[in-house]
Order: sequence, then C-alpha cells, then structure tokens
Amino acid sequence: MTLSRKRLQDSLAHRQPDRIPIDFGGSAVTGIHVSCVAALRDYYGLEKRPVRVHEPYQMLGLVEDDLRAAMGLDVTGVFPRNTMFGFPNSEWKEWDFRGLNVLVSKDFLVREEPGGDILIYPEGDPTAPPSGRMPLGSAFFDTIIRQQPLQEDRLDPEDNCEEFKPIGDADLEHLKTSVAAARGSGYGILATFGGTAFGDIALVPAPFLKNPKGIRDVAEWYMSTASRPEYIHRIFERQCEVGLQNLARVHAAIGDSVDAVFLCGTDFGTQSSQFCSVRTLKSLWFPYYKAVNDWVHANTSWKCFKHSCGSVEKFFETFIEAGFDIMNPVQCSAAGMEPEKLKARYGDRIVFWGGGVDTQKTLPFGTPEQVRVEVLRRCEIFAPGGGFVFDAIHNIQAGTPVDNIVAMLDAVHEFNGAQVNA
Amino acid sequence: MPELQKLYDAVLNGDQKTAVAITQEALAAGVDPMELITNYMVPAMDKVGSLFECEEYFVPELLLSARAMKGSLELLRPLLAAAGAQPAGRVVIGTVKGDLHDIGKNLVASMLEGGGFEVMDLGADVPPEKFIEAVRARNANIVCLSALLTVTMPAMRTTIDALKTAGVREQVKVMVGGAPVTPQFADEIGADGYSDNASAAVGLARKLVKQG
Ligand code: B12
Repeated sequence: MTLSRKRLQDSLAHRQPDRIPIDFGGSAVTGIHVSCVAALRDYYGLEKRPVRVHEPYQMLGLVEDDLRAAMGLDVTGVFPRNTMFGFPNSEWKEWDFRGLNVLVSKDFLVREEPGGDILIYPEGDPTAPPSGRMPLGSAFFDTIIRQQPLQEDRLDPEDNCEEFKPIGDADLEHLKTSVAAARGSGYGILATFGGTAFGDIALVPAPFLKNPKGIRDVAEWYMSTASRPEYIHRIFERQCEVGLQNLARVHAAIGDSVDAVFLCGTDFGTQSSQFCSVRTLKSLWFPYYKAVNDWVHANTSWKCFKHSCGSVEKFFETFIEAGFDIMNPVQCSAAGMEPEKLKARYGDRIVFWGGGVDTQKTLPFGTPEQVRVEVLRRCEIFAPGGGFVFDAIHNIQAGTPVDNIVAMLDAVHEFNGAQVNA
Repeated sequence: MPELQKLYDAVLNGDQKTAVAITQEALAAGVDPMELITNYMVPAMDKVGSLFECEEYFVPELLLSARAMKGSLELLRPLLAAAGAQPAGRVVIGTVKGDLHDIGKNLVASMLEGGGFEVMDLGADVPPEKFIEAVRARNANIVCLSALLTVTMPAMRTTIDALKTAGVREQVKVMVGGAPVTPQFADEIGADGYSDNASAAVGLARKLVKQG
C-alpha cells in the first residue's frame, strides 16, 4: 500500500500515522475555490492550464495530481456523476469567470443579467427556470428558491422525494471509473455518492431539479422540522430506504476500495448554538443516520464521514452513537468547540477531519506567521494517537491570500518533520 | 370577547391560525389594536427571545412564532397607521452584498417587528444603494446589516461609507451582526451597535433610538 493511503487508514483507525495525512480537494466541503486553485498552481510553477470547475455551485476547482503532489496532500476525492445543478461534468469547455479562464462542463449554461448577475440552469436546460444566481462581485452561486404555494391539506411527502431514486447505470459506471482512477493514484480516498444527508439545507431547494415540488423554501423547511415532524419522517424514511439500496449497489460495484464516505452534510450548528435540541436530533435524525451507518459498518470497511458546521459539541455523543466515524469541519471558532476539549473528550472515538486552521479570522486575514503558529498548535493538539486528518475549516474561500495557504501547508509539513514527497 | 391570553399563547407556540383568529375576534369586539400589541404580542415575542437565548427554543420555533406574530400584525397594521400610532423606530434591514445567509437576519427582523419596530426587510445580497434608497423612502432611523461570511464583512464597511457619502449616515443608527462579526469590527467600521443574537438586538435598538 502507498504511504499516503496507509497514513490515512492509520489515522482513521486511531493509530499513530507516520505523519498527519492532509486533505484538500477530496470533497465539496474540504475543497478549494477555483481562483485559489489557479493561484496555487501558479505559486508552485505547475503547467499553465485553465482549472476545471468540478463543483459549479461553490465554484470549487479540481485539485489534480500534479498540484496534489506539490502541496503534499494524501487524499483524493471520488465525486458523483452529477453536479449540484444536475448535469454531469463532461466535455469541458472554456469559460471566462470574471477575468479568470476556467474549464466548465458543456452543460454549464449561464446567462448574464443586465445588472451583471449570472444565472445558471438545472440539468443544463436554459428553457427551465434558473436554479442558481451568482451576484455581481460574488465568487459562487446561490440557489434560487423556487417554492410553489403550499396548501397544507395537499402536502404530500412524495413531492419532496423526487431526488431520491435508484442510482442509474451511468452513475454507477462513473463511480467505478473514478474509484479505479483514484486507486491507481495511490492516495487515500474520500468518496461522495450522495443521497444520505437527510435535510441538508443546501439541497432542500433542489438546484438540480427543473421543477421542485413540496417544501423547498429554507425557512419553511426549518419550521417544518418543528411543526410537521411526521411529514419530515415520511421523507427521511423513503430517503433512507432508497439510500440503503443505492449504497448496496455502489458497494457491489466498487467494493471496499475507498477509505471514507462523505455521507452527510446537514449543518446542525450556528456560531453560538445549534439548529435544534439534542432531543430533536435524536427523534428526527438519529434513526436514519444509525440505519445508514450500521449498514456501512456491517457490509463494508468504509468509514462514515459527517459534516456539520458551527457549534455542535453538544451533538458529538449522539453523532458517535449513530455510528459516524469522522467529524468535519470541526469549527473551533464556534461556541464550545475548543480543540483541546474536543480532543480530550472525543479524540479516541471520532476522527477530526478539519479544524486545522481558523477560516473566519486567521487564514483569510492573518499574516503567514500567524497562520503557521496556529497550524502548529492545532497539530500538537489533534495529532497524538491519530484520529486527525489535516484540513482547514470548510472550503478555502475565494480571496484567501495564497501566501497564507502555502504558510498553512508548510506548517503541517514542518510539524510532520518532512519534505513534501520525501 | 375572546380570551386575549390566547393570543399570547398562540404567538409563543407559533400557532399562526389561532393568532389570526383571536386577533380578528378581538378587533370585532372593539379591542384597541395597540393593547393587543403591547400587552400580548410584544411580551410573547420577548418570552420567545429569552427561550431562544437559553436554548429551549431554536431557529424553527423562533421562525414559527415570528410567523404567527406577523399574521396578526398584518391585520393590525392598517388600523395602527390610520390611528397615527408611532412605531418604536423605523428599521431598514438586509444581508449585505454578496451574502445569501438570511436566517439570522430574518430572525432579527422578526424580533424587531415583535418589539414594536416598523421593519423594512430588503432581503439578502443587498447593495449599498438599496439601503440608501430605503432609508430615504422610509425615513428610517435604524439600519441593520447582517453578514455571515468573512468575504462579505468588508461590504458592511462599504455600506456604512455609502450612507455617509449619500448624506444619510447622521439620521440613522447602524447595527451590525452575523457569525464572524465582532464588537471590535463593529467599532472599526464605525457602526453604532453590535449584538450576537436576535433577542438582544431588540434591546440594543431600543437603546440606540433613545440616544437619538
Ligand atoms: C446555514 C448555513 C448556510 C446555508 C444558508 C441558508 C440561508 N438561506 O441562510 C447555506 C447552506 C446555503 C450556506 C451556504 C454557504 N455557506 Co454557510 N453557513 C451556514 C451555517 C451552518 C449557519 C448560519 C445560520 O443560519 N445560523 C443561524 C442564525 C440564526 O444565526 P446567525 O446567522 O449567526 O444570526 C444570529 C446572530 O449572528 C445575530 N445576527 C445576525 N445578523 C445580524 C444582524 C444584526 C444587525 C444584529 C444586531 C444581529 C445579527 O442574530 C442572529 C439570531 O440570533 C454557518 C455556520 C456558522 N458558524 O454560523 C455557515 C457559514 C456561515 N457558511 C460558510 C460558508 C463558507 C458558506 C459558503 C460560502 C459555502 C461555500 N461555497 O464554500 C456558502 C455561501 C453562500 C452565500 N452566498 O452566502 C462559513 C463561512 C466561513 C467564512 N470564512 O466566513 C460558515 C461560518 C461555516 C464554516 N464552518 O466555515 N450556508
């Protein structure tokens, strides 16, 4: 087995790895904005070519193997065939992204409005109502809420289940090829298959559907978790049933050849608190998370990866009990998320995939030296005994100084006591 | 004569249907709209705010209560306007340019409304010109800016500067908030107030209006 993959597996198994494994670009929550990927390629003097936008919603740039090697990373990603806007990444074409030449899928069809906002269409169909908008001056798309008028007595959970369907052959084929390529690269593998998030607020508006029905408005969804729990249960039950069938099909196609699976991106934390009580987490979400994680553990060697921003320390016990193996992004700047405390309380039971540097202050606004000092400290706290994959907190945002990104990477390598690729 | 305490309960429990029904009955029975607001709705929203602060209520419950209150307020507003009642203050609120996070901003807007303020919500991704336009149109005395992203925090400064250039900065108090915002940052950009939660934002707004 290659060093990178072993390093990741050791850390995920809470064994001390030879070095801290590092992930950037392995998922849509540990990614890098396309402008920063371009800046990093320049910084490391790599071949000049436009970067691929593999995730158009957040405008994340694909981290290819040459950049992965230059940055000294250990993880590569496997992504579902379709993007957030419901079209596959195929037949790349050039696009002028406000002055930066990038590559996008042929189905990335946009229209610029008179004011400079850019609209994008679901499934690459410009005759459908647009499902995303990039405001002038913004670096990524926001979903356009397309909520049809709700009639309480006509509410049907089926309407919210349109996106949960058996995985298609083309999707399976895509996963097989991607996993084979990822294996060939020798890196540790984080895979995303989709379909098991349960109420991820970024997915509720369904930017991938042409005509979403049911509850698609953000506030209406949050209210429904309190006022219509039965409706939400019906959706989750259905989603769980389909999700488990799909996981079985995916596993039959790719086997145990990925290390971790990004199963759930539902955010439960705010800066100072949570979106619901522990009691609600247990009654509304826990049964489904447990069913999915139990299936994964009973049938595969995959580790279960959970993402939730914000202040979620109070939920850690429940997440662990539900069978999640990995927590991301470990937002240490949120209330109650002090790194020392998290490591001491949960470090032997859950892997911290993230938390490497503060992204609300230090990484975007600090000096390279401040970045270095913070990264070294975080490594000291999180690294002992494994159970740590280095990553910033959420995607690296547009406008983050490249010198700070490099200072962050150099600091992990300094801690690791080794040269890149040595 | 309906049992008015039920209006308090309906707002507290986020039951819009009942809130609207009781309000209608009360108005039909000749109850003063101001009494409904001051004695029942404002105290109910105050209670909601404190339940939120002590983590008994969360975002969903707050949104439900706000919706119940709004349903009732919609019936009362035309009557209040006709009677020439003055709101606690006139607020223009929005999430700044480039930022779509609006959950926190919506809660602040609702709590201010619940606190007796007249609130004009400009939504998310609001450019400075829109704030200026609204301040003029509404003769506002409070501007609330929300930002959840480090990359959009600078837009708070730009907005305050634009208010200055447009000559309306002196007529308003500017309140700022949102996950990455700190009291220091609020000072730095020349805001008049900061709060880290929707419930405290109401107290802050009342204080700033008094300062005049
Ligand atoms: C929910 C959420 C989303 C939702 C937003 C849905 C919506 N319609 O609002 C979705 C999934 C769409 C989303 C998208 C993104 N998000 Co987001 N999101 C969050 C999350 C988890 C919670 C925010 C929230 O709603 N909190 C609940 C409300 C009630 O709290 P609040 O907003 O803080 O407001 C309270 C107080 O701050 C205060 N307040 C708020 N405004 C004001 C205003 C005034 C005047 C006053 C007095 C008080 C006040 O009162 C409120 C109520 O008590 C935060 C995590 C966090 N730590 O906050 C990340 C977070 C804000 N997101 C983040 C990011 C990076 C993004 C994306 C850029 C993702 C990406 N592309 O990589 C996109 C950007 C979209 C955009 N254009 O803005 C980062 C920002 C990091 C940074 N560097 O700044 C955060 C911090 C997550 C993280 N771990 O890093 N997000």
